[in-house]
Amino acid sequence: MNVDLSLLAPEIALAVLGLGILVLGLLIPKGSRHGLGWVTALGLLGVLGLTIAGWDNQGTLYEGIFIVDRYAIFFKITFLTAAFLVTLGCMRYVDEMGDQSEYYSMMLFATLGMMVLASAGDFMTLYLGLELMTIAFIVLVCYRRTETRSVEAGIKYVLLAGMSSAVLLYGLSLVYGVTGSVTIYEVGRAVTTEPVPALILGVAMLVAGLGFKISAVPFHMWTPDVYEGAPTPVTSFLAVGSKAASFAILLRVFIAALPGLWAHWTMLVAILAAVTIIVGNLVAIPQTNIKRLLAYSSIAQAGYILVGLVTASEAGIKGVMFYAFLYVFATIGAFTVVTYFYNVTGSDEIKDYAGLSQRSPLMAAVMVISMLSMAGIPPLAGFVGKFYLFKTIVDNYLWLAFIGLIMSMVSVYYYLRVALVMYRDEPVDHTPISLSGPVALTLIITMMATLVLGIYPGPLSEVVNTAAHSFFLP
Amino acid sequence: MVLSEWTGVLLFFIGGLLVGGGAIVTSYLIHPRRIQAQKYEPYECGVDTIGPTWVQFKTSYFLYALLFVIFDVETIYLYPWAVKFQSLGLFAFIEMIIFLFILIVGLWYAWKEGALEWK
Amino acid sequence: MLTTISLAHYMVLSALLFGIGLFGVLAKKNAIAVLICIELMLNAVNINLVAISKYLTPALFTGQLFAIFVITVAAAEVGVGLAIIIAIYRNRLSVNLDDFDWLKW
Repeated sequence: MNVDLSLLAPEIALAVLGLGILVLGLLIPKGSRHGLGWVTALGLLGVLGLTIAGWDNQGTLYEGIFIVDRYAIFFKITFLTAAFLVTLGCMRYVDEMGDQSEYYSMMLFATLGMMVLASAGDFMTLYLGLELMTIAFIVLVCYRRTETRSVEAGIKYVLLAGMSSAVLLYGLSLVYGVTGSVTIYEVGRAVTTEPVPALILGVAMLVAGLGFKISAVPFHMWTPDVYEGAPTPVTSFLAVGSKAASFAILLRVFIAALPGLWAHWTMLVAILAAVTIIVGNLVAIPQTNIKRLLAYSSIAQAGYILVGLVTASEAGIKGVMFYAFLYVFATIGAFTVVTYFYNVTGSDEIKDYAGLSQRSPLMAAVMVISMLSMAGIPPLAGFVGKFYLFKTIVDNYLWLAFIGLIMSMVSVYYYLRVALVMYRDEPVDHTPISLSGPVALTLIITMMATLVLGIYPGPLSEVVNTAAHSFFLP
Repeated sequence: MVLSEWTGVLLFFIGGLLVGGGAIVTSYLIHPRRIQAQKYEPYECGVDTIGPTWVQFKTSYFLYALLFVIFDVETIYLYPWAVKFQSLGLFAFIEMIIFLFILIVGLWYAWKEGALEWK
Repeated sequence: MLTTISLAHYMVLSALLFGIGLFGVLAKKNAIAVLICIELMLNAVNINLVAISKYLTPALFTGQLFAIFVITVAAAEVGVGLAIIIAIYRNRLSVNLDDFDWLKW
């Protein structure tokens, strides 16, 4: 059998790294495992380099069940960047939780699952990648197993994730039954515009199953609970990585495998996007817990990204990829602040953020910039991303663009409420918060990325163009 | 009566019913009828239970069950590989070694964390 | 009248099983019962996959392979799920889903 293993190099390296961290944890005595975070971060950086080096090395493996095109590589770069930043920002939090080696290796396996998902060329690889990611996340969500909220979030996640993947699988089996193939591009050739009832049912189940993963309304019920209960670094990785990976496969399945049924699912996706944007933004307004606020705002963000799927065009794919990439920096920036703030004060309530600008100007600034980027205020990166996304739909779906615009304004309201608390209110406790090295580095990287991508999006836009173009090649 | 492929199933069903039911009916007809209090005990022979019988089992069993599941499911991959061992060759052999190695790391982890100790 | 068993029979069986599982997931209050119902749904999918593989693509074993992977992943999921149920039982002394109400909006 001839297999070009160089295409698989990043995945193999990451799997070895994950196992290696687990084994290292067994060999090193319990008290001295603080260095594992750095090993993980450097290892992720190495894998990231390997992935970027493979930019020109495209191809498929095992008769098309594993696709390495620039589209997949771009998403892998996104996941690895996110994993690197989360690892850098969470070391102190993890040291306080204990069991570092298991935590980092679970994190690496979740990343591996996302990478497999981005490259999935058939339904089996899709399912395996999805479940590798999900099971690793289930373990991570209830990682503070003595704390009730964390375990409760875990049980909600495991039951709902199990149900959603069963629904997804049933949909996949129906598509397989109608088309007689599980390979995505072969399914794409077999699907005709003629609406077969079983296929329509299968597609509806796919929407439900993947909608759960991206937390689109009405499949979002788990999101706020799990986001609030999970350890904060896990929440940020869940919000970024799991969502981006699910979008990667959502685009692949719907645009490559089901183009014949475009007329049937495009309206469904448009309505889903509109409802998600509206509900996410409106329910975010009364929240008092910062993690819940960010959870609802991430639901709204999923709605914005769904807009890119509506037209099923190269421009739409480009918008999704661009937005997913910059969303990494905005979300991780905000969540790193939340993580560190919790480490120092032990609170996640918005009112306790009073006067953060006096206690730590950098943290307050990163929070505000990240949130304004999510709201889409120029000249931050989020504005450019939203511009690319909504540009694709103004011709045919003006009402959706309108909803997006109005709800963006609504989101500014609740984001600015947090900013006001941080900048206007007087702090109860005036002691300044001193940042540790890696956390400060994470914050500065995310802030710079959000600013630079907003002011000068040209180069990234070029990269995304070639990546989106490769999607239609095979 | 048309003999279709299902007639065999029907005959088997009737035969099974006759044998099973016949045993019960026969024993009902010929068994001695002596009514004593002991006949109404849960067990006719052996010792009476002490305390409530609805006790909970220790969760120590649970970890063994989990480990069992892992190595139980592993065989599902070993069988097809073993059947086609000759034609798959060295590549598949190395792949299987890697697969088993990963599982053994898992077992080592469980061992080291004390999952195999009886508490 | 006796007919030969066709793909449709398997599909109906699987749909029924899936429906029962889905109903159980939504209606049951006991966490372990919900986990069992999820297994039921996954097994419905397995029936579907194997039947389709047998009737539509008898030369390939795609569906059966898929079923093997589903079984494996289901085992992993149940392992994690049971571990979490044990953990929450230690915290709360309950496996009733109605009792898990610390997180609410």
